[in-house]
Formats: sequence, C-alpha cells, structure tokens
Amino acid sequence: MLKYKLIKTLDIAGLKVFEPIIRLAYWDEPEVQAKKIFLFIIIPILAFLVFLGLWDFIAPRHTTKSGEVPTPPVVLKAWDGILIFHNRENQKMADFTLSGEARKNALLQVEAELQKIEETIAHSDAKLAELKNTQEAMVLKKLAPLELEFDQKSTEFNNAEKLRDEALKAFAASIAADDKTAKLKLLEQVKQSNIKKDQERVFLNTLKDQMNSIRSFVYKPAKLALSENSALMAERQYLLKRKDLLSDDNRFIKVDDAKEKLKEKEDDFLNSSGSSLLVKAKSVIRGEESILRIEQSNYAKPWTFLDQIVRSLGCVFLGFAVATIIAIPLGILCGLSPVFMAAMMPLISLFKPVSPIVWLPIIFIIVGGFIDDPEHAIMHPAFISSALTVALCSLWPTLVNTALGVASIEKDYLNVAKVLKLGFWSRLFKIVIPSALPLIFAGLRISLGVGWMVLIAAELLSSSEGIGKFVWDMFNNGSSETFAQMFVVVFIVGIVGLFLDRLMIVLQRSVSFGSNPSGL
Amino acid sequence: MSYLKMNQVNIGFGPSSERTEVLKNVNLEINENEFVAIVGFSGSGKSTLINLLSGLALPDSGEVIMAGKRVLSAHPDRGVVFQNYSLLPWLTVAGNIELAVKQVFPEMTAAQRKEHVEKYVDMVSLTPALLKRPSELSGGMRQRVSVARTLSMQPKVLLMDEPFSALDALTRANLQDELTAIWSKEKRTVVFITNDVDEAILMADRIIPLTPGPEATLGPNFKVDLDRPRDRAAINHNNEFIALRNKINQYLIKIKEDHEQLSERHNLTCPDLQPIDLRVMYK
Repeated sequence: MLKYKLIKTLDIAGLKVFEPIIRLAYWDEPEVQAKKIFLFIIIPILAFLVFLGLWDFIAPRHTTKSGEVPTPPVVLKAWDGILIFHNRENQKMADFTLSGEARKNALLQVEAELQKIEETIAHSDAKLAELKNTQEAMVLKKLAPLELEFDQKSTEFNNAEKLRDEALKAFAASIAADDKTAKLKLLEQVKQSNIKKDQERVFLNTLKDQMNSIRSFVYKPAKLALSENSALMAERQYLLKRKDLLSDDNRFIKVDDAKEKLKEKEDDFLNSSGSSLLVKAKSVIRGEESILRIEQSNYAKPWTFLDQIVRSLGCVFLGFAVATIIAIPLGILCGLSPVFMAAMMPLISLFKPVSPIVWLPIIFIIVGGFIDDPEHAIMHPAFISSALTVALCSLWPTLVNTALGVASIEKDYLNVAKVLKLGFWSRLFKIVIPSALPLIFAGLRISLGVGWMVLIAAELLSSSEGIGKFVWDMFNNGSSETFAQMFVVVFIVGIVGLFLDRLMIVLQRSVSFGSNPSGL
Repeated sequence: MSYLKMNQVNIGFGPSSERTEVLKNVNLEINENEFVAIVGFSGSGKSTLINLLSGLALPDSGEVIMAGKRVLSAHPDRGVVFQNYSLLPWLTVAGNIELAVKQVFPEMTAAQRKEHVEKYVDMVSLTPALLKRPSELSGGMRQRVSVARTLSMQPKVLLMDEPFSALDALTRANLQDELTAIWSKEKRTVVFITNDVDEAILMADRIIPLTPGPEATLGPNFKVDLDRPRDRAAINHNNEFIALRNKINQYLIKIKEDHEQLSERHNLTCPDLQPIDLRVMYK
C-alpha cells in the first residue's frame, strides 16, 4: 500500500515529523494527526517566525563600524549577492575559453546588454540626482530655523559675555588693596560668570547636535535609488569585463594575435641576414613559447562561497574518513583487550579535551615539513592540516563508542560463537562487529558533528579555502554587506550540519536492529 | 557403556572466602539416542549443568566424558538450545542458520547449503519467515529458529536449557509436540532441562531430578515407560502417567522440605529503629 510505503520512506529518511501529513491525507484519525501537525510542525514554524520577528526588531537598534546589525531581509539580500557573484564568476570563466561563432554571438549579446544598461544607468543617475536634491531641500528646510536660532543665540551670548567681562574688569579695578570682602565677592562673580558661559555653550552644542542629526538625515527613496544605482554600476562593470573576455582578453583571440605576431617575426627572420639574425631567431622562439603559455592559461577565478562550501564538505569528509580509519580499529582493539584499553586510557583522556585551535598550528608545521612547494602539491597543506585537525578532534567519540560496543557484547552471542567454534576472525566479523555496529554508528554521528564544527575554526585559522576562510575574509572586509554575508554563513553551516546529521541517522538506522533509536 | 557421562563433577563460583558450591558430586550416565529430562527448582544450577555438558564451562573437579573423550571445550557436536534463544538480531532466520551450517559443514556448496538451511527451517514450519529478522518474530517462532539452528548442525548431542519456559502454554504444547516428532524421526541423544514435570514425562525416556542448590546434585532416576507417540490429551487419564507424576512431585516436595530443614537458618537481629516524626521537626 502506498500509504505505508510513504510512511516507511519518511521514517528511514529521518523525516518522521511529516508522517502526520500523509496520515491526514488518508484521513487516518484526523484529530490525532491534526494535533501532531500542530505540535510538531505548526509550533516550530511559529517559534521560528517569532525568532525572525525579534531579530528584525532588535538588530537595527545597534549600529556598528560595519553599519547596523543586518535584519533578515538584508541577510536574504546578501545571500542573493553571493549567488550573483558566483554566477558571474562562472560566466566569466566560460567566456574566457569561448571560441568561434559562440564567442561572436555572446559578444553581440553582451554589447546589446551593455547598451541597454547604459540607458538604465543614465535614467537611474538622473533619478538619483533628483532624489538627492529633494533630500537636500528637505534638509535645508528643516535646518533653516535652527541655523537662524543658532546665529542669533551665538551673537547674543557673545555680546552678553563681553558685557560681563567689562563689568568684572571695572569691578576689579575699583577694589582697594585691603578690601578682603570685595575680593571674595570678585571671586564669586568670576565663578558665576564661568558657570553662565558653560550653560551657554551647552545650549549651543545641543543646537549643533540637532542640526547635525538633521544633516545626516537619509531620505529613504534616495537611499534605495543609491543602492539600485550601485548595483547597476556593478553590473556594468561585469558586462565590460565580459566584453573584454569575449574579445581582446579571450584565450583564442590572444593566441591568434600572438600567432600573427609570430608570423611577422618569422617572415622578418627569413628575409634578413647578418648580425641581427641571431636576435631575431631568439625572438621567434620566445614568440612560440608565449603561444604555448597562453594556450594553457586559465581565467583566474576567485573562490566563491558556493565553491568554498563544496571544498569544506570535501575537507570534513577527508578528516572524517581519516578519523574513522583510525578510531574503529583502535576502538575494536580496546573493546577486545582490557590490556590494550588500559594502555590507551591515559592517551585518550589526555588528548580528548584538546582544542582544535591548539592542534592546528602544530599539524600545520608538521605537514609543512613534508611539502616543499605548497602551490604545486596535489593537496594544499592548509587543506591537509584542516582535515587532519578535524580527524584528531573527531575521532574520540567513535573510538570510545566502538570500544564500548565491542566490550559490552552480549554473552549469549559469544556462547553461540563458542558452540560453533568460530575462529578469531569470523568471531570478530560475524559476531562482534555486527553487534557493535549500532553503537559504532552512534559514535560516527557524533564525530561528524564535532568534525563539522571544528572544521570552520580550522579553516579560519589555516586560511584553507572554505567556509571558515570566507568568514575571515568577510570579517576583514568589514563592509555592511560582508557583515550580512557572515550571517548567511551561520545559516549555511547550520543547514549543512543538519543535513550531515540526518545522513548519519539514516545510516545508523540501516545498521540497527530491534528497536530503532529515534532521532530528531 | 554410556555415551555421555558426568563423573564426580563439582563446580562453584565466587572468591574462596564466600564460595558457593553450585553443583556437588554430580554423576550422570546417558545412553546414545536417549531422551533425558532433568527437572529442578529455579536457581538449582540447571544452566550450569548444561554449560558443563556443552563445554562452555569446565568443572572444578571431576570430568565430563562424551563418547569416551573428555569434554574440554564447546563443540558443534554438542548443540545447545539456549533459554533466551540467542539469535543474532542482525541476521535473518536463514542467515542465523546459515552461519552455523557454514561453520559446521564448510565443504558444502552454496546450493547445498541453501537446501540444508531450508530443510531445517521447514522442519520447524518457519518457511514463510525465512527472510525475517528475529525482532519481527514472536517468542515461539524465535525458539523454533534456535532449535532449527541447533538441529541443522546435526549435533550428536542436543542440550536444551529450559527452551520453552519463556513461552505461553499453547505455544509451548505445540513446540513440545514438534520437538518430539522431530526427535522420533532423527534420533539423537537429548538432555532436556525443564521445571515442568508434565513436560518432562510427556517427552523424555528418563527423568532425573536436580536437588535444590547450593551444592545441588542429581537425584534418583525415574524411568518413563509410556508408549510413544504419547497423546497429550489421552495421557491425562493414563494411570501410569498419573502415578509417575505423583511420585516425582512427591519426591521434589520432599527434597525441598529436607533442604529447608537442613539449610542453616540465619537469624538476623533487626536493628532497633524508630521512624522519625517529621511533624515534630518542622513545628
């Protein structure tokens, strides 16, 4: 029956949350299903919406060096920006190696787009200028009365101060040498005069602040127009670059140019004789070499975030694989032999709590010792170091769980093995390991989770291309857009981590027997 | 000359300061193809007896002898059906049996092995469940798989440790009949441990009681001379059956009483404690 097939598929995929929807579709105890849907689907969605609402409310209330803390819509837009950058870079790379008719057609298209965008930009410029004027007019209008007041008050205060000074001067001149009370009175008056002066200054400063805040007033439509305008500018820049890559900077065009030049040189070389012949021969050879170089050249594409995600996944799986290859055999040995377990215990307890931040520099130097030329190595040493750091930090849960699983095997199974007179290896592979598999996979699941967390820090520290490096670059850039892109990273890391965890749950279920461990 | 023999066997557990002698001076002689039932109270060391016979445990003194050779370790020749089935949960019914067959008959081709496995699964009427896992089976079905696994090894001796005690009465009766039928087709030496006297009389050639532990030992033999096949409905009115049952039950009750009389009474003095009145404390 389709219904049970669907439910079973969901269960295996670890998506049991959606089971009530299918049951409801088949009108199977609708009230129970409605309750479950409310509890497991509606409530979580509501909670997430509340979270988004709070975020949207609180974030703009704090201003940093990189602008306001981004709100959800801003973060979503930053994600768009990441995608646009990725697509444009891929397009540029494709353009560089385009040839023949395809190149010509693309060039025509780009030129047409360029023309169109120039018009749009002209239009946008005009609109922007207009809006800026409106903004200025608005500012001036609000500013005018305050400026007037400021001018009036400052002259008024100046005059008052002069009068006060003169009065004090006159009073001071009139005091006799032995008139102590008058002297004390003078002191008091000077003090009063200073207080007055301070009060006036504070008043003027307040006015100034008000004026400044009016000056920094941003007219919303003008701000929007500005960001639209800068997006258009970026697109024009991109189209111009594409035009170059499709024409003069294209690999095949460059090769053709170089070949033409070489032809000239060759003709010149064949037609000449005497002292310049050697120089010309050398020049011909140089031309040939340069053609070879151009033919092998590639567009220097920068890493985009999507490439970095893929690379991070590669790195975490490499590290995880290394951890698994080390941890499972060691764990089995620990579980089988109390002596080996006793020997390993101090090492496990000592190294388990060490932070990835400590491992990484050590591993980095050690790996660097094996690789002389990082740029031409099969794998970049930073990549290897990150993977090994992941391995070192994530192997412990698997090791401990494997040891536990092997050591806690049921005595009944061992009795079966004894009655059957199974040898060491068949006992290991047919009884011990299968019975420990559920616990081993539970350990692997924790390991992968730990590895994913450790990886971001390792990449950040080792500058290995990946999500961690992206965060670091965005942090160093410090613009409001890169600030928002760091928030994007939070969600991407979370979603990928969730996905990895699900994957491990599915694997864990496929090897567990009897009662299935249910995971969220 | 008996086929399976226990000679002055003693076994105990625990450190020497507080050692419990589980079995003491156990002597047992079983002929080839004989069906012997051992009845006893719970905790009297029945499982230890099976472990000794199978070679899973070795006696502290005395010896277990099978076909003239001392038993020093477990061997597929002495198949064990465990009380709690001991099936490997990650293997299917066929897989569980195949593991045993592959080990005991390594010379078989894959096709022969498959046929062999299916024969024994069919013998316990579990063919429809061939590819199911133990967790999908009921208790009775699991014990059937366990029996089929042990039979498929074609052991010379079948040791059964309270195989049906965890099952409900109906399933139990069914399995008893099936096991007796299989045994009459493929005769072999059987040691069947149970705490149910009726079950023992219905199935066995000879019944030996085990006295209550610690220091349990085997009591006198009760020969069962009822004709086979024994009909469980008709047998209830058979005078011979009734007499035998009463005799065995009386013997068991008597040794139980003797045992209680003989065993040391520990008169523990209770400490003089009075409950605290919390109301006083929190006033």
